[in-house]
Amino acid sequence: MERSALYWRVVLLAAPVTVFAVLVIWPLFSSFFYSFTNWNGFNPEYDFVGLENFAKIGSDRLFIGAIINTTIWMVAAILLPTLLGLALALLLDSKVPGGPIFKTLFYLPICLSAVVVGQIWIWIYQADWGLLNTVIRAVSGSSFNYAWLAKPDTSLGSVIVAWSWQQTGLSMVIFLAGLTSIPNDLLEVCEIEGASTWQRIRIVLIPLLTPATVVVVALSVINSLKGFDILYIMTGGGPFHSSDTLAMHMYNESFKKYLMGYGSAISVVLFLIALTIIRIYFRNLKKVDEIYG
Amino acid sequence: MADLHLDNVSKSFGTLEVIRNVCLDVAHGEFIVFVGPSGCGKSTLLRLITGLESVTGGRIFIGGVDVTQVRPSDRRVAMVFQSYALFPHLTVAENIGFGLRLAKRPAAVIRQRVDAVARTLRIKDLLDRKPGQLSGGQRQRVAIGRSIIRSPEVFLFDEPLSNLDAALRVLMRLEITRLHNRLQATMIFVTHDQTEAMTLADRIYVFNQGRIEQSGTPMDLYNSPSNRFVAGFIGSPAMNFLPGKVEQTGDHMMLKIGSTRLRLDQSFTSVSHREISVGIRPEHLRVVESSAGHVRAEVEIIEELGAEVIAYLQIEGISDPITIRLPPQRHVVPGQQVGVRFASEHFHLFGSNGTRLC
Ligand SMILES: Nc1ncnc2c1ncn2[C@@H]1O[C@H](COP(=O)(O)OP(=O)(O)OP(=O)(O)O)[C@@H](O)[C@H]1O
Ligand SMILES: [Mg+2]
Repeated sequence: MERSALYWRVVLLAAPVTVFAVLVIWPLFSSFFYSFTNWNGFNPEYDFVGLENFAKIGSDRLFIGAIINTTIWMVAAILLPTLLGLALALLLDSKVPGGPIFKTLFYLPICLSAVVVGQIWIWIYQADWGLLNTVIRAVSGSSFNYAWLAKPDTSLGSVIVAWSWQQTGLSMVIFLAGLTSIPNDLLEVCEIEGASTWQRIRIVLIPLLTPATVVVVALSVINSLKGFDILYIMTGGGPFHSSDTLAMHMYNESFKKYLMGYGSAISVVLFLIALTIIRIYFRNLKKVDEIYG
Repeated sequence: MADLHLDNVSKSFGTLEVIRNVCLDVAHGEFIVFVGPSGCGKSTLLRLITGLESVTGGRIFIGGVDVTQVRPSDRRVAMVFQSYALFPHLTVAENIGFGLRLAKRPAAVIRQRVDAVARTLRIKDLLDRKPGQLSGGQRQRVAIGRSIIRSPEVFLFDEPLSNLDAALRVLMRLEITRLHNRLQATMIFVTHDQTEAMTLADRIYVFNQGRIEQSGTPMDLYNSPSNRFVAGFIGSPAMNFLPGKVEQTGDHMMLKIGSTRLRLDQSFTSVSHREISVGIRPEHLRVVESSAGHVRAEVEIIEELGAEVIAYLQIEGISDPITIRLPPQRHVVPGQQVGVRFASEHFHLFGSNGTRLC
């Protein structure tokens, strides 16, 4: 009996472990491997170049730009959906009329794929007949036809807005769940002690939502690190690399310029950055657990 | 000053009537205990007094002021919850000072008041801890601390001790008595614990199904319960109820219990019901030789409590067992045939509808 339990454990674990090994571990290690070569992606012959690729990163102007954009992207893609989701959750929790309908509406975008979201927002941003400019023209009366995605100043910001539009619903739902899990008597203490709405939110609700915030931020971090597809659809990193992130840059180097070795080196750097963020995150998770666990 | 007056207060949740026309008068500084079976509306009544729920009928006066429509924070009441309701992310000091912080009092004032309260409740060394690092009794003290710091007029306690172990309950009970003596504030205390009710209360209100069954001092309720419900509810172990029949024999009344007949005292002669319920407390029964009792009985279960023995006996011809309180030296064993004598001067007679007959 003991033996057959062990047998099934091994068999049932084998499938996910195999998938994980083939799709995650193996590509990870091959990236490490190729980052020390000058492979071009299809030629079976390549040379080891040592740390040359990594040395090149330091002098790569586009890489520096991508780092800056990635930072902007990550900070905005974490902060905006989190704050908006929190605000919406607090609003909907206070029993506004039509709450359930709004909950559903706000949640809907999360069910769409990034490609669909990207396409919707390309249309919204379209210079001549896009919804945004049409509204601006109607309000201002001018003949406004700014090409949001085609200008370096607004390309990244515009994608961030589209991204936040999609992600806000998810954080809103998690915050709403967090709000329902706050014990009612704590809220009643606020009422008896005379907390204003703002005091209640600031001193009680937001701190008590820490566990929910941890989940929201974790998902935002992971989603924003992965957030390649929507950039790819909406701007492809352009114009003039103005919305290039590390992932975008790596893709361009590897698959457009056929510098697979250099692209791998970028991916190794990206991997190390992700690893660091996740480590910081887990370290803070412990503190949260001590109070709320 | 802060007397509390409820005038015909009712509360319904939808069609469910939870509080029915409750009138209640509490004098300033009185210690009132609410008792009643689970679901009878005690918590709901406290929540109506705090203003956490709004009444569906009647009015509430605190210190002579009609507060029926006043917000909870302006009623000058404090509530201590059974669950303590402490904020897990705030320290003990911050929890105690919560109300003052909301009122935007200067930090120095808050610190000073928190210190004073903490000294009173002997939790000064805990001020920097979080509630998660406290024991149940310590948490309860913090919750009480938070309620006293704003010096409210009326304190409401909803089963504040029921999560504590027996020894701690006794300690906290004394603590609350001390607190009441010092603050001289009006307090209302909900409990399921007989001892707490009897020892703490100036007056007890017994509730049943959203109504007040009886109110009075603990000894009033104990000695002269006004109906069968109160009689059965106050006192532990609970009063025994034996089915009895009243019979006219010659020129006096006889009470038939099981197979025995007892002559009713003069005071009982007004009894006009034939089938009645005879209430007698466990301490007003005596176990004697089987031939010397009013009725014969068989000892079923013995509970030795040290200072006393509780015996459960089965009387011939009566289906429910009766409870008797015995001195510890009185030796009986399960299965033993004994006689039981009633102290008939301690009888409480109730009609078939539960009302007191005399
Ligand atoms: N918000 C509510 N909505 C509907 N019914 C409620 C609500 N609050 C309480 N009740 C009902 O009111 C009745 C009285 O409840 P309450 O909590 O006051 O009882 P209680 O006397 O405090 O009982 P316990 O001793 O178990 O604490 C119960 O039947 C309960 O189901
Ligand atoms: Mg209750």
